[in-house]
Amino acid sequence: MRRALRISNAGLRGVIGNGLTATHAIDFASAFGTFLEPGPVVLGRDPRASGAMLREGVIAALSATGHDVVDLGMVSTPVIQHAIRRIEAAGGISIGASHNAAEWNALKFFGRNGIYLNTAESSELLDIYHPRKYAFVTYEALGRLREEAGEIDRYLDLLADAYDFDVLRRFRVVVDCCNGTSALILRRLNERHGCRFVLINEHIEGSQFAHEPATNARTLTLQLAPLIVPLEAHAGFLFDVDSDRVALATERGDAVSEEMILPMLADHLLPRSAGKLVITNLSTTALLEEVAARHGGSVVRVPVGRQAAMDALAAYRPEQVALAGEGTGAVMMARFRFIYDGIASMLAILTMMHERRQPLSEMIGSYSRYSMIKGEVPLNSRHIPALLMRLQREFPDGEANVADGLRIDWADRWFHVRVSQTEPIVRIICEQRGETPRALYDSVLDFVGRFA
Amino acid sequence: MSAPREHNLKIGVSGIRGVVGEFLTPALAAAFAQAFGTYVGAGRVVVGRDTRPSGEMIQHAVCCGLLAAGCEVVDVGIVPTPTIQIYVEHIGARGGIAVTASHNPPEYNALKLFNHEGLFFNHYERSELIDLYHQSDFYHAANEEIRPLASDYEAPGRLHLDRVLSQVNAARIRERRFRAALDSVNGAGSLLSIAFLRDRLNCDLHAIAVDPTKPFPRVAEPRPDTLGDLAELVRRERREIGFAQDPDADRLAIVDETGRVLDNDDVLALVMEAVLARQPGDVVVNLTTSSVIDDVAARYNCRVWRTPVGEANVVERMREVNAVIGGEGSNGGIIFPRVQLCRDSYTGMAFLLDRMAATGCSVSQLAALLPRYSRRLGKIPFEHGRLGTLMRAVEDAFPGGAVDRTDGLKIAMAAGWVHVRASNTEPILRLAVESRREQDTEEMFSRLMSLAG
Repeated sequence: MRRALRISNAGLRGVIGNGLTATHAIDFASAFGTFLEPGPVVLGRDPRASGAMLREGVIAALSATGHDVVDLGMVSTPVIQHAIRRIEAAGGISIGASHNAAEWNALKFFGRNGIYLNTAESSELLDIYHPRKYAFVTYEALGRLREEAGEIDRYLDLLADAYDFDVLRRFRVVVDCCNGTSALILRRLNERHGCRFVLINEHIEGSQFAHEPATNARTLTLQLAPLIVPLEAHAGFLFDVDSDRVALATERGDAVSEEMILPMLADHLLPRSAGKLVITNLSTTALLEEVAARHGGSVVRVPVGRQAAMDALAAYRPEQVALAGEGTGAVMMARFRFIYDGIASMLAILTMMHERRQPLSEMIGSYSRYSMIKGEVPLNSRHIPALLMRLQREFPDGEANVADGLRIDWADRWFHVRVSQTEPIVRIICEQRGETPRALYDSVLDFVGRFA
Repeated sequence: MSAPREHNLKIGVSGIRGVVGEFLTPALAAAFAQAFGTYVGAGRVVVGRDTRPSGEMIQHAVCCGLLAAGCEVVDVGIVPTPTIQIYVEHIGARGGIAVTASHNPPEYNALKLFNHEGLFFNHYERSELIDLYHQSDFYHAANEEIRPLASDYEAPGRLHLDRVLSQVNAARIRERRFRAALDSVNGAGSLLSIAFLRDRLNCDLHAIAVDPTKPFPRVAEPRPDTLGDLAELVRRERREIGFAQDPDADRLAIVDETGRVLDNDDVLALVMEAVLARQPGDVVVNLTTSSVIDDVAARYNCRVWRTPVGEANVVERMREVNAVIGGEGSNGGIIFPRVQLCRDSYTGMAFLLDRMAATGCSVSQLAALLPRYSRRLGKIPFEHGRLGTLMRAVEDAFPGGAVDRTDGLKIAMAAGWVHVRASNTEPILRLAVESRREQDTEEMFSRLMSLAG
């Protein structure tokens, strides 16, 4: 079964038409409106055609639960999150399925501070959703809709406080917007600050993205990487549709592994941060530990998924943490109030290039080489506990972590076997310092395959 | 007898109506709209609303459901219901939805549903739709089938007024520069009625309750007991006529130059006379409408058809017999097919002004020319299960009359008639009695009420 609808602590995500329906969106938004304290709710969406439909339902539900709605229109998810803070809203909803294909859509929920709901909060939201008992108000108390243009400019103000555009505008940068909201932001950056972002796939598109909106080395090579050398650009960046993730390619047109973003940003931020913790998940590169150690930092590893990261963030004081993120190119920085933000990440990397006076390829080359192999095996959920137990017995010499499936670490290599949250498949991630960990990967794959 | 149950939500063949909040929820409105979109198919659907505070919320839910069914939604904003119906037909849309609870109090809202001709669904279409809804048998459009929301806030109103004015001698009305008054209950007609009376018909207009952002300042239904402010305005400002609309501007009530609110049956009769004088033809009214209609029709040798109560019933019969005019006296509905087969307050205003301009008569003079009937309307609650007994008792109490059972029970006698029917929306019996003489009417009415005990 390929799942077309997922209702979980992370919100609501599904394929429009055969999974995620208007009724789901209205019910979930009604639950959210019931869950929130009184006050306005900020709303925004990515360009998916179905966003127009979900928007109507979400507005109706929030209004019916007594919340005024501040609609920012088509904006990136970070813009929504910052706006929640700015107007001191009760919360916010982002309509968009970020890196998923166009037929998907999702509702992401934010609390009063513009941060994703933690697990306790989202469990409460689900407990309101499931019995479908919502706190609808009477007709005199219904919320009103207000449309708010110009929120992107307020977001650019925040970026301008953090980054020196006098410096950054020297870089010629090619950006693949994948028909998403990054185009709106970067176009405005060019106008306002004279930046030189050369945009491709910059037209906003509702159903036919130029390519799969994932941020990884493969999607980089589709259209962006080959343009970099001819355009004599200093770097190339690729964003997902709602601009919370980023991937990059060097001035030589080489795609860089998405795993590099977080260690590079850790390298940049740890020396200038009082907080020394980096929060990431169990599947992310071990280069991070090496980089963190260099700056007296340490890495907190949590299960894969945004929810675990949010819970980990909530477990520390904000000033203890320098940044958090995952190997997918989604990174949140203390400076930006721990909001996943691909554009802020890109600007940080450009700042590094400026400070180090190094071409991107040299900067990448200065890090130790780690090689990662990823794979997946379809597996009946029934066999998973046995698989994980026996797999751990199979590798008794490593250090085991069972917080999310099974991860086993050795001095220079590790593997992580975990179950996908969206499909009935087991993912295998295997990494080694230096050469490709082919033998280790093959033996794990072989072992897992026996349970399939 | 127990108090009648509150009917806070009603989903039935007339659509969906309820108290907004706990009962009429956004999910319900969206699901119903998605059933509608599934039924009419992926094409253009026009959506508009009246001014009640919940209209915006319900309209968003409706748009959500329609978009989810793959429809191309054209939002026409706050407009009269007949404007939506005309626009649906004009642009060749698949259908339309008016978010309005018409004359109901502000805590209510409802959806009125129209087919591709801008007409209320007929009985069979309605039951098919309701089955789709109950089965949750919706079309779910894929992402690439979902269309962006479109809007048109200018054309619909203009189109509506153009159609109405093409049916009367507008130049003659403009010349007269009537001193008119208007009470739009701050409803969907507020702005369009000013444009109509002041700008298009050159009336010297005094308007009250024409701010669509404000709540209803009076009971939403325009009746003699709710139009005190308008009557007062007519007298104080020496107006020749006063017009009153309901929140979605399909119903019309009239105040004459003395400040008297005309009986709705008489308003229909006057408009009918204005129409028949121009173009004789068949007339359709419901069973409970006054006999004054038969008398007026007889003056022009026109045939009168009677139908069960309900706009859809009247409209269906009008189509069948190709009637020139129809309506429902009791509720101020005037239906003139050359504009559109729907209740339309603007048609009523135009024909009355046209008649006044043509004859030089005042409203009270025109009304005085109508035959006088004495009418009593009433309602009584009943318990389920007692309806049959009650109806038989009514029949026994009025022996020898001609019995019509098309809608409840109507008994026509030499002196007059009585009509008893169960309401479509509430557990009450509606009573109507009419005769030439007030004492006969009173006698028959008290005989009826005593049965209800």
